[in-house]
Amino acid sequence: MLSRVADTIFWLGRYMERTSGMLQAIFTQYISSQDDPEENTWRPLLKIYGELTDPEIEAIENHSPKALDYMILNRSNQASAFNTITFSRENARGIQDHITKEVWQCLNDYYHLIRADHLHYELFYGDPVAPIDMLIKHGLLFTGTVDNTMTRGEGFNFIHIGKLIERAIHTTDVTRIKMNEIALRRHEGFEGAKLRYLLYSLFGFEVYLKIYKGNFTKRHTLDLILYNTDFPHSLLYSLERLFRYFTRLKNDSLPENFERLEYLIGKTMNHIKYSKVDESNSAELDLYLSQTRIDLFEISSTFGKHYFGNT
Amino acid sequence: MDRILQTYREHAGVWDEMFASEGIRTTYKKFVSAIEDLPPEEMTRKDELAKKLFMSQGVTFTVYSSGEGIEKIFPFDVIPRIIGSEEWLLIEAGLKQRLKALNIFLKDIYHRQFILNDGIMPAQLVYSCPNFLREMVNVDVPFDIYTHISGVDLIRDADGSFYVLEDNLRTPSGVSYMLENRSITYRIFPDILPRNNVRSVKEYPDLLYKNLLALANRQISNPTVVLLSPGIYNSAYFEHTTLARLMGIELVEGRDLIVDNNFVYTKTTQGLQQVDVIYRRVDDEFIDPLVFRPDSILGVSGLYWAYRKGNVAIVNAMGNGVADDKAIYTYVPEMIRYYLNEEPILKNVPTYRLSDPDSKAHVFEHIEKMVIKRTNESGGYGMLMGNSATQEEIDNYKAAVNAAPRNFIAQPIISLSSTPCYLNGLLQPRRVDLRPFALYGPDGIDIVPGGLTRVALKEGSMVVNSSQGGGSKDTWVLSG
Repeated sequence: MLSRVADTIFWLGRYMERTSGMLQAIFTQYISSQDDPEENTWRPLLKIYGELTDPEIEAIENHSPKALDYMILNRSNQASAFNTITFSRENARGIQDHITKEVWQCLNDYYHLIRADHLHYELFYGDPVAPIDMLIKHGLLFTGTVDNTMTRGEGFNFIHIGKLIERAIHTTDVTRIKMNEIALRRHEGFEGAKLRYLLYSLFGFEVYLKIYKGNFTKRHTLDLILYNTDFPHSLLYSLERLFRYFTRLKNDSLPENFERLEYLIGKTMNHIKYSKVDESNSAELDLYLSQTRIDLFEISSTFGKHYFGNT
Repeated sequence: MDRILQTYREHAGVWDEMFASEGIRTTYKKFVSAIEDLPPEEMTRKDELAKKLFMSQGVTFTVYSSGEGIEKIFPFDVIPRIIGSEEWLLIEAGLKQRLKALNIFLKDIYHRQFILNDGIMPAQLVYSCPNFLREMVNVDVPFDIYTHISGVDLIRDADGSFYVLEDNLRTPSGVSYMLENRSITYRIFPDILPRNNVRSVKEYPDLLYKNLLALANRQISNPTVVLLSPGIYNSAYFEHTTLARLMGIELVEGRDLIVDNNFVYTKTTQGLQQVDVIYRRVDDEFIDPLVFRPDSILGVSGLYWAYRKGNVAIVNAMGNGVADDKAIYTYVPEMIRYYLNEEPILKNVPTYRLSDPDSKAHVFEHIEKMVIKRTNESGGYGMLMGNSATQEEIDNYKAAVNAAPRNFIAQPIISLSSTPCYLNGLLQPRRVDLRPFALYGPDGIDIVPGGLTRVALKEGSMVVNSSQGGGSKDTWVLSG
């Protein structure tokens, strides 16, 4: 596979996963902001999914339609869903011969959907849940289309590698934010509510209920989010899958490149697997998640160097 | 549809593709009978469905305005243009004859130049052509084929006969629209294609791939064929991706290729891999910055020498522009007589070379009946329609002609044939041309039965180019 194509398809996977994670986090925040007056600020998400200064954030942080419009549809915000979907489509255009026609058309439909005028209207004046939900479902449709139509070749592996790195980064980021919030503001019921929203943001609420029967604790939440290998948004699941897709590249790789990445992915995976973080020590938890994030970025940049010809 | 047909008014003195004075032409009868019972709103629905399909399949081009890209579809008219089998046989024979002669001309002009030595064509005309590449002189190309892919523009005059308007022998585009238009027709007119015995166009990518493979020089079972594109911002990028996908070959950009020791390689995740054949959609002047434009970032440094040494085949060959130059065009009938000893089957549009003072005087005197074109421009750019230009435009154009007469030709304004188009809920006549696509391989020339019918959608316009408000139609060739 051409290095440029591998790079583009890898980033296609990353952008689409970023969009999906972002929309779910926004969706959860919207629900929680309506549910709980203490949650009625968009500041944490505006900081991650935007480029605004503090005074600019202050101007819209309590105004849901403006905040939603900025994070989802704003064209000058490089991190908006509008732009991540546009970047994904731009990437897909450049590699149309490596994805299926179905994948291309699905993404192209997604692109036209995010540009539709009615989205802005509904976010601003109607029910914001409906358009966000529609966008999330379209993201799921994309994932299914990739799985059902693409051959299990290099392209399929790279799109999943990109997706899983991005997912692991997203899980790390969202967990850090919520755990830091919990550490800062403790009062009765506060922690449970925050943990629920954290689980919602990572599509883990229902799984958690099934495993832990409604008893919301940091320990259980971290066990699910960090170590559960059946939960598709946990760090360990993402890393193990990433390793699996990477291993499939062995025959298409130069040995020295493969070995370098194999070492890095294995190291990060084992760091997660064999470190038992103390949930009551917020500083230790933060350090653990920060180090994981650094390791994930190193994996990404090493792919760039050894597989995509980026120097 | 009946009501729609009743409101249709052909242009007087213009050949209408669907209607003759005695009624609907035979080729269209089955199609009309299949849709005549449809209510008008159903036609509008089909029209809207076609637009939606183009949009959702990404058959679009991007217009950048205020720093933002806006997706537009190439306008498509749902009523097909239909060509009967006998007429097609004539077109096919005429195109094969013409391309054979043009290909020999290219071989000749870049080698022994018999046509100049025998005084059939003035040497000055060739050497003054900006697309004559001295770098191609004495370069041997595989199988002596230069014009692997061509799209010859045909028009039909009021008397019903076809004329060649121009030969596109460099990187002709539009074939993906021929394929997409057909796939849209399947959707909007179910079963009508088989009932009309319409010949298939879907073999095009297979034929092209077979020809490309045959050009590989290495004795290996699976030579590497790539399509070299300028990238996603090129207006024909959709076509590049479509063809690469349909042929199952790699779509590459200049930055994906590297030349080492006069061999071309792609940069892959497994290191460098040798390339045998390049179907390039990058113009000559951009293809190798070491030989042509040094500021080009679309091409590959060293590609010319790899080609010259025969280590890679390039399709179409470099230097073809000399054969589709509009001044050289006037000599194509002579070429056919000279090289093939045959009379041309397809006629040229009468053309005046403005380097000839008498012709220039005649053209200036009758400028309101003339269209003046630059010899090395295409896409409908740089031409003057004498019947619609302002006096100021005419004066400016005359000054440009006087400054460099070699760069201009003039043709009488041909009354292009018209065909019904479904526009704003009404059937209205609009002018059309036809671009059939020909593939020249070691086994001979194949003309795909169909082509791109381009239509001037603006009322009264005769400019069919997509860049100038033109659209397209599906083109049906009926089997006998």
